[in-house]
Amino acid sequence: MALSGIQIYKLLPQTNCKECSFPTCLAFAMKLAAKQVELGACPYVSDESKKQLAESAAPPIRLVALKSNGTEVKAGNEVCLFRHEKTFYNKPGLFIRVKASDPDLAQKVATADAYKVNYVGMDFSIDGFAVLADADLGTAIKTIRTATKRPLILMGDPASLQPGLLACSGETPLLYAADASNADAMADLAKTHKAALIVKADSPDALAELTQKIQAKGVEDLVLDASATSLSAALTRNTQLRRLALKNMRALGYPIIAFPCDAKDEGIAAAQAIAKYAGFVVLSEFKPELLYPLLVLRENIYTDPQKPIQVQPGIYEINAPKPESPVLVTTNFSITYFAVANEVEGSGLPAWLVVTDAEGMSVLTAWAAGKFDAERIAKAIKGFNVADKVSKKRIILPGHVAVLSGEVEEELPGWEVRVGPREAVDLPAFMKQVLN
Amino acid sequence: MPIDIPKDKWPGSIRAITIGATSAEGGTRAKSITVGGQTTLPYLHFEAPTPNQPVIAIEIKSRKPEDWSPLLLETWGEAMNDSAQWAKKAEEAGAGLLVLALTVEDSVEDAVKAVKSVLAASGLPLIVWGPGQAEKDNELLVPIAEATKGEKLVLGICEDKNYRTIVATAMANGHLVQARTPMDVNLSKQLNILISDMGMPKDRILMDPTTGALGYGIEYGYSVMERLRLAALQGDAMTQFPMIVTPGFEAWKTKESKVGEGVPESWGDWKARAINWETLTAMALIESGADVVVLRHPESVKRVKDAIGELVIA
Amino acid sequence: MLRSACFVGRQTEHAPRTKVMQHTVSFTLDDKPTAVIVPTNTLLADAAHLAGIDIGQPCGGQGRCGRCAVQVTEGSVKRRSTLRLSPVDIEQGYALACQSIVEGDIAIYVPPQEKIERRLTTDRVVAEVTVPADYEYSFAQTVRRLHLTLNPPSMDDQTDDWARLQTAFRLQHQIERLTCSVGLLRKMGYVLREGDWKVTAIIETNQPADQMTARLIDLRPSHEDEYAPLWGSAIDIGTTTVTLWLVDLVTGQVRAQAAEYNGQIARGEDVVSRIIFAAKNGGGGEMRQRVLETINSLLELACKRVKSPQGKVTPDQVIKATIAGNSTMMHLLLGIPASSIRLSPFITTVNHPPSMTGRDVGLNACPEAVVDCLPGVASYVGADITSGVLSSGLDGAENVTLFLDVGTNGETVLGNRDWLVTCACSAGPAFEGAGVVNGMRATQGAIEEVWINSETLEPTYRVIGGGKPKGICGSGLISLLSEAFITGVVDKGGNVNVAASSSRVREGAHGREYVVAWGHESDSGEDIVITRVDIDNLLRAKAAIYAGFTVLAENVGIPLETTDKVLIGGSFGKYINVEKAVQIGLLPDMDWSRFEFLGNTSVKGAYLALLDWRKRERITEIAKRMTYVELSADNSFYEAFTSALFLPHTDLSKFPSVAEALESKKVDR
Repeated sequence: MALSGIQIYKLLPQTNCKECSFPTCLAFAMKLAAKQVELGACPYVSDESKKQLAESAAPPIRLVALKSNGTEVKAGNEVCLFRHEKTFYNKPGLFIRVKASDPDLAQKVATADAYKVNYVGMDFSIDGFAVLADADLGTAIKTIRTATKRPLILMGDPASLQPGLLACSGETPLLYAADASNADAMADLAKTHKAALIVKADSPDALAELTQKIQAKGVEDLVLDASATSLSAALTRNTQLRRLALKNMRALGYPIIAFPCDAKDEGIAAAQAIAKYAGFVVLSEFKPELLYPLLVLRENIYTDPQKPIQVQPGIYEINAPKPESPVLVTTNFSITYFAVANEVEGSGLPAWLVVTDAEGMSVLTAWAAGKFDAERIAKAIKGFNVADKVSKKRIILPGHVAVLSGEVEEELPGWEVRVGPREAVDLPAFMKQVLN
Repeated sequence: MPIDIPKDKWPGSIRAITIGATSAEGGTRAKSITVGGQTTLPYLHFEAPTPNQPVIAIEIKSRKPEDWSPLLLETWGEAMNDSAQWAKKAEEAGAGLLVLALTVEDSVEDAVKAVKSVLAASGLPLIVWGPGQAEKDNELLVPIAEATKGEKLVLGICEDKNYRTIVATAMANGHLVQARTPMDVNLSKQLNILISDMGMPKDRILMDPTTGALGYGIEYGYSVMERLRLAALQGDAMTQFPMIVTPGFEAWKTKESKVGEGVPESWGDWKARAINWETLTAMALIESGADVVVLRHPESVKRVKDAIGELVIA
Repeated sequence: MLRSACFVGRQTEHAPRTKVMQHTVSFTLDDKPTAVIVPTNTLLADAAHLAGIDIGQPCGGQGRCGRCAVQVTEGSVKRRSTLRLSPVDIEQGYALACQSIVEGDIAIYVPPQEKIERRLTTDRVVAEVTVPADYEYSFAQTVRRLHLTLNPPSMDDQTDDWARLQTAFRLQHQIERLTCSVGLLRKMGYVLREGDWKVTAIIETNQPADQMTARLIDLRPSHEDEYAPLWGSAIDIGTTTVTLWLVDLVTGQVRAQAAEYNGQIARGEDVVSRIIFAAKNGGGGEMRQRVLETINSLLELACKRVKSPQGKVTPDQVIKATIAGNSTMMHLLLGIPASSIRLSPFITTVNHPPSMTGRDVGLNACPEAVVDCLPGVASYVGADITSGVLSSGLDGAENVTLFLDVGTNGETVLGNRDWLVTCACSAGPAFEGAGVVNGMRATQGAIEEVWINSETLEPTYRVIGGGKPKGICGSGLISLLSEAFITGVVDKGGNVNVAASSSRVREGAHGREYVVAWGHESDSGEDIVITRVDIDNLLRAKAAIYAGFTVLAENVGIPLETTDKVLIGGSFGKYINVEKAVQIGLLPDMDWSRFEFLGNTSVKGAYLALLDWRKRERITEIAKRMTYVELSADNSFYEAFTSALFLPHTDLSKFPSVAEALESKKVDR
């Protein structure tokens, strides 16, 4: 159970010494409760307290990191069932499945490896490859390593995995898979080569039995494969595993791997896996038209819901604006942006929407904090070359910052500054009645 | 090692709500559709069965929407010129419900005629949306509600600024309402309370929490829906309504779906991507509790329908 | 006088099959007896009406308001509802005239209205200011009045005046080190001679550390009466309202109070607007001037209000002032640039300003007067809150206690003697009567309470001072909003109900509105209304405050229900009706006995600090101990805010008493 700020406070020295750089012990305790600071920052905490606090802070799901030459894919460390409760931390790695026997292996891997797609200013790519040992894995990995540096999942029986592991020594690949029939051999292999290991069974009971057995052999980095064969079964199994892990069932406190590559509708299965608790997702082939939406979905689901998300500042076109269409100004807090954009879009009225960089704050907050002032608005209007796009040099300010209109006029000579409504819902009426 | 699988037992449940009325029930629909009724989170069959599966509605319009993506125009073709034809094709494409969206250009006569022709052409239960402007919505929806008394249509869309007229006419004529709020748990509850306070029976409200599309705020919609569903199961009566969402509308206005030219190559094949966009948006919402998903493209309908079939089997 | 009647009240629908029993009901009002004869089952209110006695029923006879309480002195009545009556009341024979039925001969005493109003359990009246029992001027004060008798100079003793004075201080009062300003030197020669070398000195000592060092504040000719008042002032600079108390430091008594809107309000209603204005060319100077004008005019006004046997009191006799106020107000008063307060990471120039003089600050007090600006905690939790905590006693509380300052910045403190957390949220000035069309401060002419008859939707109101209403103050607005909500004039979303059939609900210049007082009833001759925009402002204000304390409690993991007491501070005048404040969702729905209304806690804290250096040190301690929680750090505040932006709250289960009130209203209809 996580402790509350007051509970933690009671375990602290309560001297308000400020050496942790917080003004009071309680302030520090609340930061600890929110996991925004390390206990180590307090020089005077007692050992007894340290012990109690450490217990409450241990992550219920082990962090498993796959590593290759300089790159890393992490899964685990999750603390909740629903993202709104806290956030989902480690985005599931998307792996493309390739066959060792594939004559075009190098080229296929290279193409997928080079893939890069930009989403609101961020570059996304795939995370690694799952190599099926249907031919000599050692040779295949040498080929793959000419084309990618990304981490690998190696799929095969103990015998076929061995040469692959030798070919990627120094890395931490993920092995597929230990089941009831080969658990000992796989565990030995993983231990020898410092690899992570997938444990495969078709019930939580069987999984827990296997993980305990393998853990006893000294392999810590495990990943669970619940071997579900339908959307329904996968949802049930993953939900059960996540819940049990969060209830501190250590034997199941590991990340989950999903294989949408075998599903009837790969896109749908992958989407469900991303939303519902998978830590690694294996896709059948490189298809940008599916990869792109999956990467975006993953980004969306793993966005911290406690933090306001930002929209890329810029000039947005709504309903195919013409040069004479109005220019609306707002901030880059995503809820603010969506509220404005949706209203205008819904009205069918064309407009230019200038989104200023207000560090992701809403209009009023940004104004209060000095992130949405005349200077910044003018900078946006000039920086985005709005004047080149419009015939009527007129901007509409949000009603909440009516006080800025004078200053904006000064900053933007030649522009007419109008004050719009306070709330986005009133924009369509304003645009219809006032602007025409 | 036998493990005790933790099961949630919730005090609350989602209301089962029936859309459309057959002749026996005072309408003309071939059959009615019931949604909701869940007693646990979506598709956790080990806790409780899914009493009613989510339903796919296909959105058609009273006039051909020239601003829709070429991919949609191409797939529906000529049928878009006649809402009755379009309705038939939508039913063939696998819709369980129809949404007829009216436009600002429609006169009262046009709108009533369009609704009647759709009702005549298809036996599916019907949802009717006004054009989305308060005055026009009220002007069109009141006569439609009166002309279709007893059909148990869903009338939309009620928003906090404009709900009274629609709710009043729905109450008077035995219809349901769709209550839409912008991605916020509290606003959603508030509108439901205001509508219930008018005396609207609670089994005649569908809530529309607004979702955003993949890449365009779906994370808000997703979490709002999860939270609404959790609140409902915890016993909050004002969130115990089935949810209707519009991934078709949301997805097809994104650049990713709508356009095929002048976009990055890394987006991949246009049509496949566009349908993925709509399908994945819809699936994410179904996973978070959607009861009615309104779609636009027949291929998305097929994929989502198959997936629902897979999800509802224990 | 006995009036016999065929009046059968509301019982006409029951055609009497047998002969209806008749009963005598005698009333006593203002010591005058009256009696009527009525049939069984007549409503007591109807009997009173028949007797020509007008018993007010502001709520429309629904047993909601408790204003029609009467005392049955002989016989008994059947009480349909006792909602407003305590068991003690019932034992004493109290009954609601609108809810009681005559069943036999009875005698009724009709108490005067004020008595009823003050008896209501929901009203929380702020206590009169009393001098702390342990106040001992000579021990607690940092300023002292000393009599000095100097040896006149002569040709033999040509010591200068200043040295002569210092010698007298040393010999007569053991003060070894004395400092003095040039201003005092300028008048020193005149004062010494005017008093014929007998003078009264006002000094500031360094309590308690060093009694041998002093600073000369004033020098006055001759020996003043040592029991004559020494004037000090406690000042609270609120964002919206400035409050000033004039205090006799000798007795500790508050001799005059005055309050006025802060003159800066013309340049912005909230602190952020003020900071932005002050940052502009010359804006800082203007802000300082504006608040100084307000303070100085209040000082003047307070002085005029004092009737002192020693003659007229003038501002320059004020020798000590203690100032509380939020950090922005403090910076603007002192002319310190305030921009860094609103910009991340939100740092003040000074949380604890050093001691200053009246001249430094610009007060029209004695130029050398001690001006003590109390310490704050952070940019958004200032000295108004530390002094509020002091005066509320929260820092010594055994059990977890919640302190709310219902003002423009909506500060909240939660804690006990072991820990204190605090937060601030921008509530806006609505509860201080600003930013509302017909809002005003809680002074003469303000409507402070409203009742709406749920059938006719006609209001009844009470005006401070009893005259014609000029506007509505904070408590009046709370009361009005609550009544409008309970009677259905506004819906839960705050929308003025279109369907309400009353000429008082109408379309106005600011959208739909409700007329509280028609022009012919009001002081200005204009209608007094509450508009949709006003309601929005009130909703935002109450939602911000409610969200503030709920999120604060969540942050430290203390369930709100476990708080022992809720202390309420704010400029509501004398009282606040807790029930109404709960009904609109401003205060949590708890047992009413757990609320305490403290009035303006900030000025009270400043007053305590003005009197006693020990209290002053305690404020410094409080400021050090308090942990500030930044509400904007995550989404939880926004979430709690939107959820509170409803009447009473989106989650009605948090307000069971309101749910019950709404339910009973439905039954009535």
